[in-house]
Amino acid sequence: MLDFFQALENTGFSTWIRESGSIWAYPIVLTLHTIGLGMLVGFNWAVDLRLLGVGEQIPVLSMDRFFPWMWWGFWINAASGLVLTIADATTKMTSWVFGVKLALIACAIIVLRQIHKQVFVKQSSDGKALAAISLVLWILATTAGRLMAYIGPVSGLVGTSNN
Amino acid sequence: MWEMINEFSKWLGTTQLSHNMAGGWKWGWATCETLHFIGLALLIGCIGVLDLRMLGFAKHIPPAAVHKMVPFGVAGFAINAITGALFFIGAPFQYVNNIAFLFKMLFIVIAGFNILFFYLGGVFKQIEAMGPDDEPPTSAKVVSWVSIIAWFGVMYWGRMLPFVGNAF
Repeated sequence: MLDFFQALENTGFSTWIRESGSIWAYPIVLTLHTIGLGMLVGFNWAVDLRLLGVGEQIPVLSMDRFFPWMWWGFWINAASGLVLTIADATTKMTSWVFGVKLALIACAIIVLRQIHKQVFVKQSSDGKALAAISLVLWILATTAGRLMAYIGPVSGLVGTSNN
Repeated sequence: MWEMINEFSKWLGTTQLSHNMAGGWKWGWATCETLHFIGLALLIGCIGVLDLRMLGFAKHIPPAAVHKMVPFGVAGFAINAITGALFFIGAPFQYVNNIAFLFKMLFIVIAGFNILFFYLGGVFKQIEAMGPDDEPPTSAKVVSWVSIIAWFGVMYWGRMLPFVGNAF
């Protein structure tokens, strides 16, 4: 398996992403990953907050219109995340923190789909419990994502000094 | 002025808080990074819903109602201003003389003036009076676009910090 990750990491594309120094390689992909996070988690949190009682004058069902923006964020991050994973396959695929991050995202997406189904489509639930779970899952997923730079096998730029 | 900024940054680097951020507190930097991204999502989401409504999306929502999300966006900004200041204190010379940092701050200032114009320039008053399904005025659309571009600019230049100028 490690051979496969090694091969992925050594492709011309991976090497270009990682080492070309071009603005269009690693920096832009990472920027897209940040923007996608803002869209998916941000709008999901806005819906969660509404279900938990913030802005009660907002008709819940009208927030349906924000779901496509979340899915845009999701796909931007699936694509940019895949590129970032391939570029550092041997470190990312052996990092347990990365595994935890992916599992948390999977749970958060399942909860998001449940919110959509139960609150918006079937209208069978006020979604309060799901919203609370969703809020926490995204905090944990974001935390796991950030900690990939500090725990376990780490790639790229690390460390800081105040000199 | 650069002289003064350099002197100030040097002094910042000698403070206890700076040493704590730069390794004294083992998890200080990582914790602040995590909070910085949580603040980012809160800001983008809770300001973004208002921006989208003012652009004409989700028209069934009365704009005054969706404005109730703004305090959470402001909370996101506050989290990021505090954690951002801690990064600066922890490693001032990663940021001063870094062109990406300058641009990031510039875009935050643009966003700030845009917010001032929104509240003091009468746009908020117009928005507040609007009912569901009302088409937003052009001024509101301009404010929304400036907001979206400014915050995307902040994210872009924030991400560029380690890559442009003096690298981390």
